[in-house]
Amino acid sequence: MPVPMPDINLIALLPEILILLVAMGVLLLTAWSRETTQPLLGLVAMAGVALAGGILLIQTGMTTTTFGGLFVLDPFASAMKLLMLVATLLPLLMSWDYLARHRLDIGEYFVLTLFALLGGMLMASSGDFITLYLGLELMSLSIYVLAAFNRDDPKSNEAGLKYFVLGSMASGLLLYGISLIYGGAGGTGFAAVAQAMGEGGGHAPGIGLRLGVVLVLAGMAFKIAAAPFHMWAPDVYQGAPTSVTAFMAAMPKIAGFAAIYRVLLEPFGPMQSQWGPILQFLAVASLAVGALAAIAQTNIKRMLAYSSIGHVGYALIGLASGTELGFRSVLIYLAIYIFMNLGTFALILVVNNAGVGDEINDYRGLAKKRPLLAFLMAIFMFAMAGIPPLAGFIGKFYVFMAAVKAGMIGLAVTGVLFSAVGAYYYLRVVQRMYFEEAETAFRMEVGLLSRLVIAVSTLAVLYWGLLPGGLIDWAEASIRPLL
Amino acid sequence: MIPVADIVFYLLAAVLVIAALRVVTTRNPVHSALFLVLTFFTAAGLFVLLRAEFLAAILVMVYMGAVAVLFLFVVMMLDVDFAELRRGALSHLPVGLAVGGVILVELIIVALAQHSAGPVTEPAVAVPNTLAIGRVLYTTYLLPFEIASLVLLVAMIGAIVLTLRKRPDVRKQVISHQLARTRDQAVELKKVASGEGA
Amino acid sequence: MAEFLEYMHGMGTDLLGPVWPLAWTVIKIAVLLAPVMFCVTYLTLAERRIIGFMQIRIGPNRVGPFGLLQPIADAVKLFVKETLIPEKADKVVFLLAPIITLGAALTAWAVIPFSPELILADINVGLLYVLAISSLGVYGLLMSGWASNSRYAFLGSLRSAAQMVSYEVSMGFTLIPVIMLSGSLSLKDVVAAQSGMWFVIPLFPMFVIYFISVVAETNRAPFDLPEAEAELVSGFATEYSAMSYGMFFLGEYANMLLVSTLGVLMFLGGWLPPVSWLGFIPGIIWFLIKLGVLLFAFLWIRATFPRYRYDQLMRLGWKVFLPFSLFWIFLTGTIIHLVGAV
Repeated sequence: MPVPMPDINLIALLPEILILLVAMGVLLLTAWSRETTQPLLGLVAMAGVALAGGILLIQTGMTTTTFGGLFVLDPFASAMKLLMLVATLLPLLMSWDYLARHRLDIGEYFVLTLFALLGGMLMASSGDFITLYLGLELMSLSIYVLAAFNRDDPKSNEAGLKYFVLGSMASGLLLYGISLIYGGAGGTGFAAVAQAMGEGGGHAPGIGLRLGVVLVLAGMAFKIAAAPFHMWAPDVYQGAPTSVTAFMAAMPKIAGFAAIYRVLLEPFGPMQSQWGPILQFLAVASLAVGALAAIAQTNIKRMLAYSSIGHVGYALIGLASGTELGFRSVLIYLAIYIFMNLGTFALILVVNNAGVGDEINDYRGLAKKRPLLAFLMAIFMFAMAGIPPLAGFIGKFYVFMAAVKAGMIGLAVTGVLFSAVGAYYYLRVVQRMYFEEAETAFRMEVGLLSRLVIAVSTLAVLYWGLLPGGLIDWAEASIRPLL
Repeated sequence: MIPVADIVFYLLAAVLVIAALRVVTTRNPVHSALFLVLTFFTAAGLFVLLRAEFLAAILVMVYMGAVAVLFLFVVMMLDVDFAELRRGALSHLPVGLAVGGVILVELIIVALAQHSAGPVTEPAVAVPNTLAIGRVLYTTYLLPFEIASLVLLVAMIGAIVLTLRKRPDVRKQVISHQLARTRDQAVELKKVASGEGA
Repeated sequence: MAEFLEYMHGMGTDLLGPVWPLAWTVIKIAVLLAPVMFCVTYLTLAERRIIGFMQIRIGPNRVGPFGLLQPIADAVKLFVKETLIPEKADKVVFLLAPIITLGAALTAWAVIPFSPELILADINVGLLYVLAISSLGVYGLLMSGWASNSRYAFLGSLRSAAQMVSYEVSMGFTLIPVIMLSGSLSLKDVVAAQSGMWFVIPLFPMFVIYFISVVAETNRAPFDLPEAEAELVSGFATEYSAMSYGMFFLGEYANMLLVSTLGVLMFLGGWLPPVSWLGFIPGIIWFLIKLGVLLFAFLWIRATFPRYRYDQLMRLGWKVFLPFSLFWIFLTGTIIHLVGAV
């Protein structure tokens, strides 16, 4: 009884295939070329990402499944992939000088970045736990290596190893959960699992399935660095090369949220009463850790690690509300988060080129020497703190609104409180820049590509802060078909 | 009739559980790794009992034949003093026991719940399981199969990137150069008068 | 023969009742292993005589006619000597190591068919079983090297472990085209699939790589670096004496016999005659002739080639054999696809 071949529609996978081919091409070029062609490799990688973005834009609105339901293309997947491409392209652009300066611009850097992106894209499009897991593993493995990419720096090695060990453990939890779900539901396809979970008609399904849900969510919470699964984030963010940190703070988070969306809405859809409280707990814990622990930080990368934990907490509030508004608000939040975060990292990379360290104290007096850079940094800090005319406020506003509308007043109030606490440490950076004397001259070139990234991020943060309509419509169009 | 399969199962299971316990309780890291190998082996035996001989063979080949060998390799060479490491670990014991206990209780509940659900499906013996696995692996699960190959590729790239160093101060052996060397390049004849060669 | 077996079976069932199937299996194992061990012991004699002949020496010819009792004398000597255990050795692991080596070498024989009927356990993943079990032999060497608590032994065992793991890969890959052509992992089916043409003809390069790989896999010259006498004073076996050493020795030769047998089954048509009109000669004779040829090649190589250097060995395995056999798998697949189902 030969098994029939599943339907294969490679058109649906076109962006993924393109990324794969570019990654392989860069790999072969790396192997064949001498040192001289490195800029070419980076350009090829970026062109590939941009081209994949073009294909995605064409694909927007397409809905199809292929490989027998293992791969799903829908507006949500396209939207998430688009965000991921942006979150890959911008770090590549802005780390151009940094990589050259630290001699990290070898071909494998781009290859691994592309493979991480590919893994993330597969996660967003998965229609089965197996595809989801493998996509996750592809992404994580690439990023573990990237974190340790600066081999001569012990901190980078430590970051890679820590991330790898803890990440493997999280993968173990996830797999364990998936196998329990497989045992309870008799399949790994999202549709099959959703059916098995819905069988009780709203009643609690078997304990195996429930335990599976908990473990799967725990595994995913690790990947997006939600407390209490965040322990790795500060060390890894600090130790990894800054260009990798920028990438790591953006792309995997989108991918992780994409996967959580998929899992919550499709296979776990019937079990909202189960996962709702879990997400609420994760959200509150992340907010607390993000806000309180960040205060004590002196290293800006470490501070941003805690800040990203906090941002994950806000996004989780939206998911925990479980309403359409909530899901939409998370998408909005993520889109804004990427630009705020990448803008900040672009500035950090620029300042780093001046030979300054990553301590917050190293930014003292930046406003005196380079007023424009300091002003832009201040904009991003205000945006992250959620101060009104900037986009960060819009993100938080929608998330809190979703929570309130879902009747979770307490959750929203907690969010607002921690937001106020969080504002303190963002403003501390501004205070250092503006109200203290400079010790260094901050002599550095701001590369063209970095300028581009900073300009794009600033525009996004300003524009969406004032006119968020387009963003909101886009989020709605992406989420609606999923519900 | 003696229930041979049952006896073998309990024997293997007992060895497996004891070996697994010894992996964590034994003091010597090399013994620990060797018990791990024994654990794999008995697990493979259990696969055979389930008539999953392909999985059993692959488990032995991959995990015992390659993974555990490298593991043992490293453990033997590192000479880690595990007793030293463990001294601090004992303080984590209560937490570990608590977590382990919770998971165990949950597993028991799961096992009981599943047991009441009905008997395990009989294996389809009509097709050898190598063939059966091959058939779904290259059709239904083609996409995951390809992604898995990428995961392995990334692992390989990562291992090379993190370890391969081009060191300018070390002379590299190029075998073709060595082979292409002629006698004139290698040997120089010197006339040394007898008694003055020193 | 069949009647006798029937009779035995009936009598055994009467005598032992339910325990009989177990006892019957034990008898079968003994009947299988006795000739294997016989071959192994006489392989050592053959090696010494043949290499002696090649090097224009006489070789052992004192014990019995033509030295035919020499292996027995060796065995007696090994048995009566004292087994020395180094003071700082890890005793359990030290003694377990040779047992595992020999055990793995002998266990693999369970699925080897000598003729369509003569097979102990006819399982449908026979080939995988052989590969899996033979991959366990490396543990014996690793354990012996570590437990001896001696630098020479440890270096030897590290070398051998790396070498065996590396060459197992290329050995496994050379067998994949065979599986592709025969469409089965059962050794019996693989031989049956060669009734038209022995696989050595279409897959000749694979056969060559297979043979070189197994020479390395069994730690034989010119790849006998793990026990390189000159530099490592016998490597992993340095601290072993008497029967514990003897078991390593037996294990090595049993492995040699095993991989030769596997080569005969996979590439040389097993018990099939080269041309059909020679079919009147019993299959087992053909089998033994082919086995003899391969074993002779093992000895011939040892007498002919100097030892490889370790980095050369690794280079050959990973950079030459592995890509080439991968390419050949690809080629075989393409041809099978073009020609149609086999």
